[in-house]
Amino acid sequence: MIDPEAGRAERADQVPAGDGGSVVRAREFVGGIVAVEPAMGDSLLLTMSAPEQMVRQLRAGRFFEVLCRDDASYDPLLRRPFSVFRSDPTASTLTFLVRPYGRGSAWLAERPVGTRLDVLGPLGNTYEIPPRARNLLLVAGGVGAAPLVMLADEAVRRGLSVTFAMGAAGAAGLLEPSLLPSEVEYVVATEDGSKGHRGYVTEVLADYVRWADQIFACGPEPMYRSLRAAIQPLRVGGKPPVQISIERAMACGVGACLACVVETRHGTQASCVDGPVYDLDEVIW
Amino acid sequence: MTEGRAPRGTPAAAGIDLSVDLAPNNPHELRLSNPVIAASGCFGYGQEYAGVIDVQRLGAFVSKGVTPLPRRGNAMPRIAEGPAGMLNAIGLQNPGIRGFVKKYPRVWANWRVPALVNISAESVEDYAMMAAVLDEEPGIAGIEINVSCPNVAQGGYCFGWDAEMSAEVTRAVRAATTLPVIVKLSPGAVDIVGVALAVEEAGADAVSLINTLVGMAIDVKRRRPVLANVTGGLSGPAIKPVALRMVYQVAAAVRVPVVGMGGIMGLDDALEFFLAGASAIQVGTAIFAQPGMVIRLIDGLEAWMAKEGVASLAEIVGAAQPQEKSQVVGAEDADLALGAVAAG
Repeated sequence: MIDPEAGRAERADQVPAGDGGSVVRAREFVGGIVAVEPAMGDSLLLTMSAPEQMVRQLRAGRFFEVLCRDDASYDPLLRRPFSVFRSDPTASTLTFLVRPYGRGSAWLAERPVGTRLDVLGPLGNTYEIPPRARNLLLVAGGVGAAPLVMLADEAVRRGLSVTFAMGAAGAAGLLEPSLLPSEVEYVVATEDGSKGHRGYVTEVLADYVRWADQIFACGPEPMYRSLRAAIQPLRVGGKPPVQISIERAMACGVGACLACVVETRHGTQASCVDGPVYDLDEVIW
Repeated sequence: MTEGRAPRGTPAAAGIDLSVDLAPNNPHELRLSNPVIAASGCFGYGQEYAGVIDVQRLGAFVSKGVTPLPRRGNAMPRIAEGPAGMLNAIGLQNPGIRGFVKKYPRVWANWRVPALVNISAESVEDYAMMAAVLDEEPGIAGIEINVSCPNVAQGGYCFGWDAEMSAEVTRAVRAATTLPVIVKLSPGAVDIVGVALAVEEAGADAVSLINTLVGMAIDVKRRRPVLANVTGGLSGPAIKPVALRMVYQVAAAVRVPVVGMGGIMGLDDALEFFLAGASAIQVGTAIFAQPGMVIRLIDGLEAWMAKEGVASLAEIVGAAQPQEKSQVVGAEDADLALGAVAAG
C-alpha cells in the first residue's frame, strides 16, 4: 500500500538547517515597505522591515507568503509566495524580487514605501552548501534568480567560488551585475541574443558543470528538464549534485492544504514544507 | 439584545460563557470551550499549524478527511482562485484509516483541544468500518461525516444530495460508534433541510454546513480548465451568503446543534452565522490566508459579548430567526439605502 505522506517532514517549525541546528519557525508578522527599486525589466526589488532575529537566522531558499490585498478587500484571497532575494540583519530587512504577472504580485508591485504588509514566514527548507564544496554553479531563469542571489551572498561570505549563470528572453530580463557580489563570475544567455549567448542558459553550462562541486538552480519547471538533459552527459555518478527550487501554486504554506505537492522518490510531498528545494534526481517529473 | 448582565470593558470579563455542547443528546457530550472550530481540509492534522498559532485555544479542529484506503489525490494544479474565493480539487490525499490511526490519535490524546475526525467513503459499509476503527482510538472527541462523496452502489450519485442516502450513512455510523457524530451537509442537496431532518432522525448529534460548492475556472490563454480535475470546491467569502441562507433554513428546522461555515473571515461574519442559528462555527479557507484570525476571532467574540452584555452565546444563537423580527436597516447596510446617499 502506498503512503502518500511517507517522507514528509514532521513540522513546519522543525526545518533542519545545514549546520545541524534548526531554523526559525514560521509566524505571521507585519512589516513596512522601506524601499522599492526597479530591477530586471518590469520587476522590482521590494525591501521591507522584519523581526531582527528572524532576518539574522534566515538562509537562502526559504520563502515568505505575503497577503496581497487591501484590508477591506478579500481579493485576491490567498497569499502569494516570494523567495528572499537579499536579507540585511543590520537594517533588519528582507528584499523580495517582485514580477507583476498576476493579481497578487501586481498589487504588491504598486505599493508605495511605508505600506504595511501582512507576511507569513519564513517557510520551506533551504539550499544546502555541502561542507566540502568549493566551486558552486548557480543557474537562474527569470525571477528564479531571487533565492540564488541570496545564496551567492552566503557562498561568497564563506570564501567559495561562484559562477552565476542566468537566462532571460532579452537583456532587459537579466539581473544587473551590480546586484551580485563582485567576486561572482556572471554568465548570461538571452533568447533574442541581445546580451551574452543567444539561446538558453542551459546551453552555456558545459565547462562549468565539470568545474562545479555543486549546482543550484531556480527557474521555471521546463528549465529544469532542459537543465537535466543538458548536464546529464557531463555528470559522473550523479555528480555534481543539483539542488532545484520548485514553485507550485500553494495556499497555506505550512503543509496543511496539500495543494503544492511534488512526486518524489520518497513519496508525495508538500513542496511548501518538504521543499521548495529538492535534489533534481529525487523529483519524478 | 439583553441588557448589561456582564461587566463591560475587558475581553476576559467574568461571567462570559463561550462554551458550547455540540452533542447534548450524547452521553459523551462534545463540550467545546468556545464555538470556533478549524474546518476539515484547512487545518491538516492540527500539527501543521502548531508552530504558527496556539492550536490549543481553539474550540476544536476537524482533521483532514480520511478514507478507507490511502489516496494519492488529484493531479496538479489542485487549486485556483475566483473572486474572493478559492477552488480546490485536492482529491482527499490521505494515508487511509489504518495509516491515519497509527499516526495522529496518540498525538491528540495529549492535547487540550478536542480533535474531530472527518471521514469520507464510497459505501455505507466503509463509513461504518471507519467509525468502528475510530471508536477504539484515544484522543478523538467526535466524528464528522463528509457525505459529499459519490455512492458507488448508486452509480456515483452523491450521498449528501439525497436525504435517505445521507440517513443510511448516518445510521450505520451511529450504530458503529458512541462518539459524537456530526454530519457535514452538502450544498448540492436538492433539499438541504430535508437532508438535515433525515440525518437528525438517523441519530446525528449535530449537523455542520456548508461543504464547498462545485465550481470551475478556465485559463483563457490555454483555453483549458485551470484545475486538472476540471471542477473543484468553491470556498471563501464568495459563498458566504449561500452558506448563511442554508444555515438559517436548517437551524429553523432541526433540534440538534448546527455548526455554520462558509466564507467566515472575521467576527462580523461569525456573528451572522450565530444569529442565523449556528451554535458553533467553522473557519476554513480564511486560515490559509490569515491563520491568526481564528484566535483573534475567539478574543473578539468574547470582547463583543462583554460589550453587548451577552453573558452566554445561547442568547444570540438564532436571534435572527423570524420570532426576533426586526425591520430596521442595520448600520452595516445603511449605505445601501437611498437615505444614506442623500445624507452623505
